[in-house]
Amino acid sequence: MVITIASGKGGTGKTTVASNLAYVLAQTQKDAETWLIDCDVEAPNAALFLDPVYDSEQKVERLLPVIDQEACTACGVCVEICTYNALAVAGGKTLFFKELCHACGSCARNCPEGAISERPEEIGKLQKGMSGDLHFAHGALTIGFSSPPPVIRDLKKWVLDPSAETTTYFLDASPGTSCPVVETMRGSDFALLVTEPTPFGLHDLKLVAELNEKEFQLPSGIVINKSGRNDAIIESFAAQKGIPILMRIPLSREIAESYSAGKLLVETQPQYTQKFTNVIAQIRSLIQTKGAIQ
Amino acid sequence: MKIAISLDENKGLDSQASNIFGRCNYYLVFNVEDETFTIEENPAKSASGGAGIQAAQWIINQEAEAVVSGNLGPKAYDVLAAGKIAAYRHNGGTAQEIIKAYKEEKLECLLEPNVDAHSGLN
Repeated sequence: MVITIASGKGGTGKTTVASNLAYVLAQTQKDAETWLIDCDVEAPNAALFLDPVYDSEQKVERLLPVIDQEACTACGVCVEICTYNALAVAGGKTLFFKELCHACGSCARNCPEGAISERPEEIGKLQKGMSGDLHFAHGALTIGFSSPPPVIRDLKKWVLDPSAETTTYFLDASPGTSCPVVETMRGSDFALLVTEPTPFGLHDLKLVAELNEKEFQLPSGIVINKSGRNDAIIESFAAQKGIPILMRIPLSREIAESYSAGKLLVETQPQYTQKFTNVIAQIRSLIQTKGAIQ
Repeated sequence: MKIAISLDENKGLDSQASNIFGRCNYYLVFNVEDETFTIEENPAKSASGGAGIQAAQWIINQEAEAVVSGNLGPKAYDVLAAGKIAAYRHNGGTAQEIIKAYKEEKLECLLEPNVDAHSGLN
């Protein structure tokens, strides 16, 4: 079972929900593996709450072009081919802008002079290990690179086994609804949408729900974090879309304090263990219902 | 020789010059010798990334020898510098006024980029 935790808006509590769910499941279901995979490779932070002990590391590499300026005739074929404007010809030389390169390899393959070769360059690093009974993995994009999807793809390939039926994977997505979130959600069984009852929270919840509807059609559920007297704006959207609200976490100073101390909610407020267990049970049943309909 | 000026609009020599380089709406390419000019839509205006690079490449391909814009970011600057294209800064005004200032050598020459990358993104 693969569950993506997404939100659209940043700071709604994806990591809080993902890390508590994963921790609770790992504690209560010891005969099967539970994983938390932090897929926010631009700013991974789940490790702060789980203090994992890492046992292995892996590099993420991409092939970037190297231009042999002696062999280059500045013909500009590579500039024409590059969709990302990572190349330019000026003053009889070909210039390469690494930050814009998506490592597609088209320039090297199409250079009529064979003047472009490719060299692996590290664009990110992956780590995995254990936090108590919970398996943990995350990735981090190398500073200076701005394309998270290849790192997320490699991270999932490295630790996620889609055929492992008894294993549960919680994928903590990036904020937003762009490529990194798409890459995280791909292949999931469920989308857990964490939101807050503010106009901004609702706006981005709509975007992420629409992304799911258009691209993946995963069964989904909503967690309202910082819940309080404005919940109605989320409730009416949820009712209109038929997305069940699975949990509410109140806006509370104690919860904010435990978060800022790097503690899990279930550590400081043990009554949440049962609430998160209930969410997992509801997710299982929603996945089964969807499976039964199909 | 030709100079290229970034423009907000297409109203001939009365067009307002643009502060934006890579994502401006139009470019005026003005031939200083015979006073002829063309105005073309900036092909890089809606590039998903690297607009400055693409715009600079286009200007090189037009065989312009100087560029006048409000702001110039680091990547576009590198491409123009490699192409030995002089970069000048204007302080607003119409194309006509900027051409006059250029001829009178009153424009400030940009010896380095004057804004950060992505400054023209709105």
